[in-house]
Amino acid sequence: MRPENYQAVRLPSSNEYEIFIGPNHPGIEGNYAFKLRLDGDEVISGKADAGYLHRGFEKLMEGRLWIQNLAIVPRICVPDPVPMEVVYSLSVEAISDIEVPERGQWIRVLQMELSRVASHLFTFGGHAATTGMYTPSYWGVADRDLALDLFEELTGGRVYHIYNIPGGVRRDIPDGFLDRLGHYLDYLESRQNDYDNLLFTNQVFVKRARGIGVINKEQALEWGVTGPNLRACGLPFDVRRDDPYLIYDQLDFDIPLQDAGDALARILVRRDELFQSVRILRQIIKHLPSVKGPVRAPIPNPLAWNVPAGESYSRVESSKGELAYYTVSDGGPKPYRVHVRGPSSMHAVQVLENVAVGARIEDVAQIMFSLDACPPEVDR
Amino acid sequence: MNCDEINVWLDTLLEEINEIKVTRKSDRRVRVDVDASSLPALLELLKGKASYVHLSAISCVDWPDDEEFELVYHCWSYEAKSLLSAHTRIPRNSSEEFARYVSVYDIYKPAGFFERDIYEMFGIYFESSPFMEKFILTEWNGPPPMRKDFDAEAYVNETFNWAEYNPDWLQEITEEGGGIAIRPEDVRL
Repeated sequence: MRPENYQAVRLPSSNEYEIFIGPNHPGIEGNYAFKLRLDGDEVISGKADAGYLHRGFEKLMEGRLWIQNLAIVPRICVPDPVPMEVVYSLSVEAISDIEVPERGQWIRVLQMELSRVASHLFTFGGHAATTGMYTPSYWGVADRDLALDLFEELTGGRVYHIYNIPGGVRRDIPDGFLDRLGHYLDYLESRQNDYDNLLFTNQVFVKRARGIGVINKEQALEWGVTGPNLRACGLPFDVRRDDPYLIYDQLDFDIPLQDAGDALARILVRRDELFQSVRILRQIIKHLPSVKGPVRAPIPNPLAWNVPAGESYSRVESSKGELAYYTVSDGGPKPYRVHVRGPSSMHAVQVLENVAVGARIEDVAQIMFSLDACPPEVDR
Repeated sequence: MNCDEINVWLDTLLEEINEIKVTRKSDRRVRVDVDASSLPALLELLKGKASYVHLSAISCVDWPDDEEFELVYHCWSYEAKSLLSAHTRIPRNSSEEFARYVSVYDIYKPAGFFERDIYEMFGIYFESSPFMEKFILTEWNGPPPMRKDFDAEAYVNETFNWAEYNPDWLQEITEEGGGIAIRPEDVRL
């Protein structure tokens, strides 16, 4: 909302007042505002204010070819772009009955898990910074950067890869890539103790995060919470396990759980998930060399590709939760409709508005970051 | 109760509702076409009796040739591990500003976000929803932009001017016979 359109709230004589968090605030990954009404330092109510990152992606996608949209979709969530490409490709493949070769599926899962690692490292740092601890944010961003180096080698891009296309992935992995990935995983595991000492078991952080922004099981199901935020409430639901896609049913991994449902439980679930991703990546390193064959199924000329009429609802588990695309084709060269359902459209709006009530002003930024909301998923 | 039992139960449940067509697309995907008047009752049954507790999304598709909007309610069951997409069609009401439908916010809380999104982007007013207000497009006074009859490119051409981009270095190259080979307006599809 522009300042000239803002009308100050005339409150009766009381102790209540209104305060804006955002649209530029370190407590959230991107431009997003949160209007708070406070009494003293206690939050009476909160109102999410989105739209600062609205670029009309869904409308843009209707005006571009199926293949051109691959350059648009990763921009919907900057910290975790790979699931966006994969879920868009999955939906196009589901409509046009394309089977991805097995090697292509393994490489896709490799990227998805590496992207999850990178995104969680980013979140650790951000979450810690909202409690005044800045060292983990430097560590998190630095260690994420090493994952971006691997992405650069694999795809040519550090943040936006545009590496997945309908039918598979663009090209095979470079020589020696799996060794370098293995070294990165060794490095991450060697850092586990440091991270635990600095952040996850550090009483400075634990005392600030425990009991903040509690969501119980019933509320989580009612408000549509998904992903790590749901698993932090003790509900073991994960799209990778419940609605398996690609080759996730051939992989061996656990679903980390916590019961408390507070900010501490959420970051601990992400910590455990990161090391489960490392476990998955190790299985991929071991298994991928034995999977031979092409990485991409043949598709028609992408500049003159009329995807057959049909619709599909594809879901994947991104690092934030359930990510889904509803795609409709009318048999033309461009999508008829693409609806993006980002996990943050729940977490950043209704969940945040409900959870923030009763919190203290100094904890609001932490609640926002602990939900790991990605505002561009709300605005699109 | 295991998944198969729930699926059998779901089939008998769906038989109770009139004007319904059920298509099993795969093990975990069910498509249901239902009359707009029966949809809230269907969702209530799905949530209350068939474990479809998670409303994953509400999608809207504009079909101007049929003078209709298609609303799709995607419901996920954590127990049966299946996704049910309930499709319904409502009249487009092009003579009025808004098409109208009922809100399902009292059944599924996440519906509040999606209904507000559809209200802004497609101009469908959901009666009894508490969120019928601007959220993302607070500065926008034009027609609902996601409708098919709103042409974003024509709007841009009318509202804004294309910048003339011809710096000195480009003029020099053009004089030597080079320059921009393909202009942006030629590649727009």
